[in-house]
Amino acid sequence: MDTVIYNPKPSYFMYSNVNQQGNDQAVDMRNNNQPPASQASTSHSSESAGDPCGPGKWAARLLRDCAKALSEKDSSRIHHLLWMLNELASAYGDCEQKLASHFSQALFCKATEMGELCFNTLSSVAERSRSFESARKMILKFQEVSPWTTFGHVASNGAILEALDGESKLHIIDISNTFCTQWPTLLEALATRNDETPRLKLTVVTTVSMERSVMKEIRQRMEKFARLMGVPFEFHVVSELYRLAELTKEELGVQDDEAVAVNCIGALRRINVKDRDAVVHMLHTLGPKVVTVVEEEADFTSSMDDFVKCFDECLRFYALFFEMLEESFLPTSNERLMLERECSRSILSVLACDEGDGGSCSTEESERRERGRQWCDRLKEAFSPVGFSDDVVDDVRALLKRYRAGWSLVLPQGDDDSGLYLTWKEEPVVWASAWKP
Amino acid sequence: MPAELENTSAVTVSTASGEASASSSGNQTAPPSTTTKKKRNLPGMPDPDAEVIALSPKTLMATNRFVCEICNKGFQRDQNLQLHRRGHNLPWKLRQRSSKEVRKRVYVCPEPSCVHHDPSRALGDLTGIKKHFCRKHGEKKWKCDKCSKKYAVQSDWKAHSKTCGTREYRCDCGTLFSRRDSFITHRAFCDALAEESARAQTVANSNSEEDPKLQMVATAATSSPPPASSAPVISAGLPIQNPELPEVQENPSIILNHAPSATCLDGSSSSNSSSNGCGSSNNSSNVFASLFASSAAAGSLQPQTSSFSDLICAMARSERPTTLSAGSAAEPTSLCLSSTSLFAPVGAERRQFAPLPQPAMSATALLQKAAQMGAAGTNASLLRGLGLTMTSSSPSEQQESLQWSRRMEAEPAPLAAGLGLGLPCEGGTATGLTELMMGQSSLFGPRPTTLDLLGLGMGSGGAPTGGLSALITSIGGGLDVTAAAASFGGGGSSPGRTWEEASERKPNSPPALL
Repeated sequence: MDTVIYNPKPSYFMYSNVNQQGNDQAVDMRNNNQPPASQASTSHSSESAGDPCGPGKWAARLLRDCAKALSEKDSSRIHHLLWMLNELASAYGDCEQKLASHFSQALFCKATEMGELCFNTLSSVAERSRSFESARKMILKFQEVSPWTTFGHVASNGAILEALDGESKLHIIDISNTFCTQWPTLLEALATRNDETPRLKLTVVTTVSMERSVMKEIRQRMEKFARLMGVPFEFHVVSELYRLAELTKEELGVQDDEAVAVNCIGALRRINVKDRDAVVHMLHTLGPKVVTVVEEEADFTSSMDDFVKCFDECLRFYALFFEMLEESFLPTSNERLMLERECSRSILSVLACDEGDGGSCSTEESERRERGRQWCDRLKEAFSPVGFSDDVVDDVRALLKRYRAGWSLVLPQGDDDSGLYLTWKEEPVVWASAWKP
Repeated sequence: MPAELENTSAVTVSTASGEASASSSGNQTAPPSTTTKKKRNLPGMPDPDAEVIALSPKTLMATNRFVCEICNKGFQRDQNLQLHRRGHNLPWKLRQRSSKEVRKRVYVCPEPSCVHHDPSRALGDLTGIKKHFCRKHGEKKWKCDKCSKKYAVQSDWKAHSKTCGTREYRCDCGTLFSRRDSFITHRAFCDALAEESARAQTVANSNSEEDPKLQMVATAATSSPPPASSAPVISAGLPIQNPELPEVQENPSIILNHAPSATCLDGSSSSNSSSNGCGSSNNSSNVFASLFASSAAAGSLQPQTSSFSDLICAMARSERPTTLSAGSAAEPTSLCLSSTSLFAPVGAERRQFAPLPQPAMSATALLQKAAQMGAAGTNASLLRGLGLTMTSSSPSEQQESLQWSRRMEAEPAPLAAGLGLGLPCEGGTATGLTELMMGQSSLFGPRPTTLDLLGLGMGSGGAPTGGLSALITSIGGGLDVTAAAASFGGGGSSPGRTWEEASERKPNSPPALL
């Protein structure tokens, strides 16, 4: 059977010398990947629905096998497994099918060394279809159904408000991927503070993927909302995430009489691994009262040289994430689909784009996550940890109570660990922390 | 606190008299009645003869000092304990009034930076100053288990706990939220808050197809305070602002008859800048006046209000030709009703920051209120008073409007009550009106959009203009709406007549407006 079905599609898998034809291949791959996948979904989704507890995690098994074969350069096995995955996978199916779809794409690109190309193609497609409208919808919806992001917002805002309490000139440097959705609640909290409402300067350091038009929309809303809340407000945008290490106080507009807070949510992972320590030191030079760091709990850095290990970790993390999405969103949710596409790109960049070669912009978006403990090690070079107060912890608990079951809060046990962990079904998934010089 | 006001851009209330701004904190409960009414007995505006009492923070924070030895229930006042003891069949005794004529006492806040530290802004009762001190300068030690919101006053916390989690937050866009924080975030990002959103459906958030602008007119008209009292106030700046509508100046009485609301509001502006004085304006001390005076809008309010009165006037006397259309043809971007409800909290919010003795509503509550105001006509009389229940823009609305106007006449009291509710609410309403006016102002021609009402930067977006043009277009179908508005304005005087007039006018106006 293998050979019969295998034959029709040998041309997809050219695991050597594809670089010259990379361009065609990338397009070819995408075009060919999708239709059979969707066909497969119709036939297979019914199967899996009828047999929910049967093979269970088939995707993980197949994908792992395939990753192993890839690292062993066992081309026939790679072909075989990728073909199977391609038949079974669907970006529109159930969790397993989605995992299979996104990871097999990454494996295929890895096998054909087309990772960057594919990534760039996907990114530019995403870029083109992305609007403020859709991004906003996605982010707000995600916040509505899951504490994945709001957890970090509440913890960070709590730490920032406490650290800047009593100050009259606040300057928050926001290096994050939150589209400023974190700030309305902070503005409201500032507005209802007992003492005089302080001035707030918000400097947003944007990532490359955030377009100017999007920031314009956000600016209008933030400024308007601040007025609505009666908080004197200034909004600045700096689009220099990728030379963050070289930024200075002056460029960020930090003034001496300001109480500075630096908010990094999902930001540090976007920085090239080798630049991360430099960025931490740069942050230190800003003299912040507090630095809040929120990152997703996964380790894609220490195993960079071990493909199978890295693959396993990546699979573990995204299996959790996809499961979480599955249980949080309606199956037909467009927002969920967008989030999954983002994941897909991220998976691709981690698994199939070689950061070592560096240079192209794709590598800079690799989002090589590190675990809280690893970030602690980096941050402790320049900062000391600030524990979250009971009030903040209570706030976070109250937040989690309002979502579905499955979420909880874990305080770190070890000494070399600090911050708070958000767990999903007992697995730590997001880490939030606060630091001071 | 005043500093905050100054901080925000448009808050220069230079023309507002100190008296007006001071009164703003207190007199929200007073209907905008006669302009000469003295503002004594109002919190924050004490009787000058009263004895000023300064209590220490400790005393103010002391709670339940008087404890029943039987059941350990604590009381803040001895008298209350004594009354309680009666229930235990214990000996009890109420203190006698020492003198026949008790001198009125007012209380100042011990916090030096607080506005109520100044005897001229002392609060009128002990409970008031206690709550004020606790809320504004005390630790918020009562925390809601469900949403972790904190309160300084236990009773506030209790009240919140009863409703926490049970209510839903509704945005203008129709989305419902059970969580406060997501509601806040959503509000900040929702297009209902964006100037660009000219779409009608965000407007009334009642999800119906009703025309928002129709509502705007109705809203403005019906939300007028009791007509009789406010009638004498005439917009000072009106003729100046609207040279294209000279008739207004010639015959102010018509305005009064048809649009008491407008006049009332104008009163507020006139109090801000009596320099424009068109003799008839007396420094009205009505609610709106003080509200506006204290709000950022004060300075820039006037043009709007006056234009609004113009609007009403123009509508009332529709033989007036098309000067309106000039403005109406303007930009499509619009400030729609949603923004009015949106902006409503601005004023209210501001007021919260302003030194107020009243229980301040939380920002969320204000947001919510804003949303609710837009949301449904099923609510309080206040909302209905705002005309939000008017649902159709079809020709048939004439009837409805008529009915409505009659109802308004029949029930002036609830409306007034609604308007006289709590302060924050009041602020919201008033500001909402301001916003309405703002939207409409552009109707009257190419008024500069630079007016930054409430410091909201509306001008920059060009939003105000849009509202108007949309208004006109929507009205285009028929002047019935405007007529209805006028009839509302007519108030109790001669509704039937007003209506008839409106009907008569109807045929004339569309061409003019379109």
